[in-house]
Amino acid sequence: MNSFAEPRKWERFVWPLLASALFLVAWHYAVVWTATKVFPSPLAVERGIAELARKGILWAYIGDSLRRVSLGFGAAVVVGVPLGLTLGWYPAVNQVMNPVLQILRPISPIAWIPVAILLFGVGDTTAVFLIFLAAFFPIVVACTSGVANVPSIYRRAGRNFGLTAPQLLARVVFPAALPQMIVGLRIALGIAWLVMVAAEMIAVDSGLGYLVIDARNSGKRYDLVVAAMLMIGIIGLLLDLCFRRLRDLKSVRWGFNDES
Amino acid sequence: MSLKPKILMYGGGWLLLISAMHAYLNVNWAAVLNDYRPPARRKITVAYIPVTCQLTCPVTDYISKLSDHGEIFLPRLFQGFPEIKEALISNRIQAAFIVAPLAIALRAQGVPIKVVYLGHRYGSAVVVKKNGPIHTFADMRGRTVAIPTRFSDERLLIFRAMKAFGIKKGEIKMVEMAPPDVAGALAAGAIDAFSMGEPFPSQAELGGYGRILFQAREYWPDYMSCILVVQQSLIDQRPDVVQELVDGIARSGMWLDKGKPHREDAADFVGRFYYNQKPALLRWALTKPLDRVMYTPLAPRKPDFDLVRDLMIETGVLDKKIEFEDYTDTRFSDGAKSQTAWRYEAGMGAAK
Repeated sequence: MNSFAEPRKWERFVWPLLASALFLVAWHYAVVWTATKVFPSPLAVERGIAELARKGILWAYIGDSLRRVSLGFGAAVVVGVPLGLTLGWYPAVNQVMNPVLQILRPISPIAWIPVAILLFGVGDTTAVFLIFLAAFFPIVVACTSGVANVPSIYRRAGRNFGLTAPQLLARVVFPAALPQMIVGLRIALGIAWLVMVAAEMIAVDSGLGYLVIDARNSGKRYDLVVAAMLMIGIIGLLLDLCFRRLRDLKSVRWGFNDES
Repeated sequence: MSLKPKILMYGGGWLLLISAMHAYLNVNWAAVLNDYRPPARRKITVAYIPVTCQLTCPVTDYISKLSDHGEIFLPRLFQGFPEIKEALISNRIQAAFIVAPLAIALRAQGVPIKVVYLGHRYGSAVVVKKNGPIHTFADMRGRTVAIPTRFSDERLLIFRAMKAFGIKKGEIKMVEMAPPDVAGALAAGAIDAFSMGEPFPSQAELGGYGRILFQAREYWPDYMSCILVVQQSLIDQRPDVVQELVDGIARSGMWLDKGKPHREDAADFVGRFYYNQKPALLRWALTKPLDRVMYTPLAPRKPDFDLVRDLMIETGVLDKKIEFEDYTDTRFSDGAKSQTAWRYEAGMGAAK
């Protein structure tokens, strides 16, 4: 099978599942053969997840994490997309704003933790603020460059058809920039999910990030630590899969010429 | 110059530069060289965090370095108990100062460690905001208190006070926080109170925003929190090293309890060379008054530990009754009984 071959329908599920199963087997035997007393085996982790589910905190924590990410990411979209569109549409504004944005962008949201606690105290708002920061800059950058990269021939054609500026933005530039914006949103969501873990470690007492730190603090319970890590990974994957569906929308599909 | 040699040159140069800087600035050569000594002569690593409950660790290191035998062990500074716990479980350190309930819990969870000595007595306090709404412990209902970990005597201390005031479990919210963060959190209003070892109560007092609600001994006579644990393998293979360590700690405890000049000297060198805290802060914690923290007697006693264990079971952080003999080894504290204080005064170039 070469890389151009179209995988058959069953192959799309079977091979990834087999790879995951092999990973679990390798993990299990790595624990058995090294006789480690510290790192848990997959079975211990599975029991840990079952214990969390039985206590009823697993679903509550997943819900809390998802809520915080939705709020933070949602706020970043609401603020970031219009800002990015504006900066892309008016290059002069972009030139003025760009240095500030470029200085703020490389600052990890983790570095904002002390300031965030001063501003918002210890609680939900701080966590949501950190997630917002994480998602905000990738969204702004993606939207700015998405708009700036729209070929000028599209705009000129639009003007020749007599579109006013708002119409041009809504009917030509926005759809043309949308594929790149979707990519930016997807990256931003990934980063937001990463930062959620760190944010929940300091500010709140629920959520998957808190579960990691809470399990760490309860002595030798590394099965729960790894269980929390696995849940974070699986839910992150599901979120990404959902977001990938957006690419199949008719209005953006033209922007992606491959399947990956 | 073509691309390939250019990349090699810059890459190699960068590697060389950061390696040299790392070797010069960061590497603890005493620890690196120690790994190359034969196992029988290797120094053990002792973990500690910057609290006065563990002051005997840096004091022993500082004074023993000036003695004829030289340093007894390599001290290693940590910033919190979870990190020490992980280093202990993975066998990277041979001995550590940790809170007593954590030692009992780890032993109950099967980690091969033994308690051999105490770090101090007293020296923990519950601190509230100065001019805040909390005047007596009864006002703590519905408030948030920071504790170092769920396995700490500082948490159990809160429960003892709650019992005295008839406050039920759940009426006070407890959050776990790294000790160095609590004073700032209290000042910022993120918590209403904290229960910690010195010098953090002193830090809040000195900063002008904290007031000591009560000292540990008011609700817990003979209070102790930090203790010295060592790996079982070290006890089995090199009991003489453990004895030397315990002797050193015992001598430092007696030296510290000899009077104010020793306390002030310790505040000075520990603050500057070990804890990276202001000597004035430690001086406050160690001398106002002198018995705020005590460093004698430090031999582990069964009633003290039974009290801790029963409180742990009662408050839900220990699920089985574990006996004193299972997690302590008292032969080293027995062996240290005849020790006397270090003969060392500030400014002397040698100690005995």
